[in-house]
Amino acid sequence: MPIDVHFLARLFPALLEGAEVTVELAVLTMAICVVWGLVVALGQATRGPLGWAAGAYIQIVRNTPLLIQMYIVYFGLSLVGVPLSGFASGLLALCLQNGGYVAEIYRGGLQSVSARQYEAGRALGMRRWTLYRSVILPQVIARVIPPLANQGISITKDTSQVAAIAVMEIMKVAQVWVESSANTYDVFLAVGLIYLVLTSVISVGARVAERQLAFVS
Amino acid sequence: MNAESSLATDVTSPRPMLDMSGIVKRFGANEVLRGVSLQVARGETVVVIGPSGSGKTTLLRCVNLLEDYQQGTVAVDGEPVGYVMDRGGQRQRMAEREIAAAREKIGIVFQSYNLFPHMTVLQNIVAAPIRVRGIPRPKAEQRARDLLAMVGLSEKADAYPARLSGGQQQRVAIARALAMDPKIMLFDEVTSALDPELVGEVLAAMQQLARDGMTMIVVTHEMSFARDVADRVVFMDGGVIVEQGAPEEMFASPRTDRVRQFLKRYNDRYRI
Ligand SMILES: Nc1ncnc2c1ncn2[C@@H]1O[C@H](COP(=O)(O)OP(=O)(O)OP(=O)(O)O)[C@@H](O)[C@H]1O
Ligand SMILES: [Mg+2]
Repeated sequence: MPIDVHFLARLFPALLEGAEVTVELAVLTMAICVVWGLVVALGQATRGPLGWAAGAYIQIVRNTPLLIQMYIVYFGLSLVGVPLSGFASGLLALCLQNGGYVAEIYRGGLQSVSARQYEAGRALGMRRWTLYRSVILPQVIARVIPPLANQGISITKDTSQVAAIAVMEIMKVAQVWVESSANTYDVFLAVGLIYLVLTSVISVGARVAERQLAFVS
Repeated sequence: MNAESSLATDVTSPRPMLDMSGIVKRFGANEVLRGVSLQVARGETVVVIGPSGSGKTTLLRCVNLLEDYQQGTVAVDGEPVGYVMDRGGQRQRMAEREIAAAREKIGIVFQSYNLFPHMTVLQNIVAAPIRVRGIPRPKAEQRARDLLAMVGLSEKADAYPARLSGGQQQRVAIARALAMDPKIMLFDEVTSALDPELVGEVLAAMQQLARDGMTMIVVTHEMSFARDVADRVVFMDGGVIVEQGAPEEMFASPRTDRVRQFLKRYNDRYRI
């Protein structure tokens, strides 16, 4: 199959425009989930209704497909009179589901810090917030960077699903081009390459951060 | 006149630095402490010995409420820790803020060191003084360096714990506890995890501390430390204090069979 240079010259700017939306979705989802996931994980670590609610949330969002969550947000909210744009619905659904995954990552990190570290801090008179801020979380963060990076990669790929609610991210752009041309193969190959570049950036960034935050142990 | 006489009483019978009274601790149905009362005078070094499972660790952990207990009260320098008696004679748990404040005055060193692995030695020592007591960093660091000099580790200030030997880590843990200016120090088998050749350096630091007048409770299997440093030895078994007294008396002529058997078994094992 000959490569149609003129076709690619028209395709790429369009794909990059879509990629911009993809990056926006991915970066916003990651940024929100890094905070939201921690809130959920710390909530889940408490006894009582808060812990129970956080646990239920995690189970529900992790055990249903992203596509279903997205449809529920997109169509459900407009049914009850709060219509959100496709972008906002997609972002909300991505954050809902990945917040559950990221909370689980934090939970694993929190559990990997030995109870003796908590005791050492408490014995020095530290109260909960000081203990978490200066003793527990720094150790948790160093340990969760690799799984968070994996989640970031998974989020980046998952953004392709918002094509289903007509958001013009890279996947939707690609579908439109495929429908109006015969070069299916070229289009999807180009899209795959762009995803690969995006996820590689995350991998490299994570490796750098890991090295920065690593302590001798 | 009245004030003067009560002051005079205080001087002749000063209140103990630590006053534990009637401590009962259960893990489920298992009663691990069965009404233990222990007073430790200002500047006194009490060594606690006893067979495995007798409740020595649990007793230390009750002092600063790392372990909750079902009955009894603890006071350090006259200030209650953990529980206060209300007017109706009911035990009331203090607020977490007050408990945390009380813990500042109680230093504890664990068998497993428990240093913070992500902090250097110096950061380990200054963390609580700065973040809990609000001491300015330069002052906290100066004090930390003095303490490191005292335990012979000046050159390790910027090392991470993983780079230190067990004996060095344990001396850092002692310095970290001392940095809060505690009124009493608790040691739970702090040399048990150490290679034999590293035990001496840690015991020496503790002996120096005792000589400098720190009030201390030391749980240990090091009978020579008990003999040389203790003002008083307390023998625990089955969640009660079975016998206590001056070390030379207890080691030479124990009053109870249980102590006699314990010491005999110990001497057979270590041939001292
Ligand atoms: N967290 C816990 N849960 C349940 N039981 C416990 C717990 N900690 C200690 N115990 C029990 O309490 C009893 C006293 O334990 P403790 O650790 O205080 O003994 P010890 O005198 O320090 O023994 P050792 O010399 O072996 O350190 C033991 O029977 C132990 O099994
Ligand atoms: Mg013990």
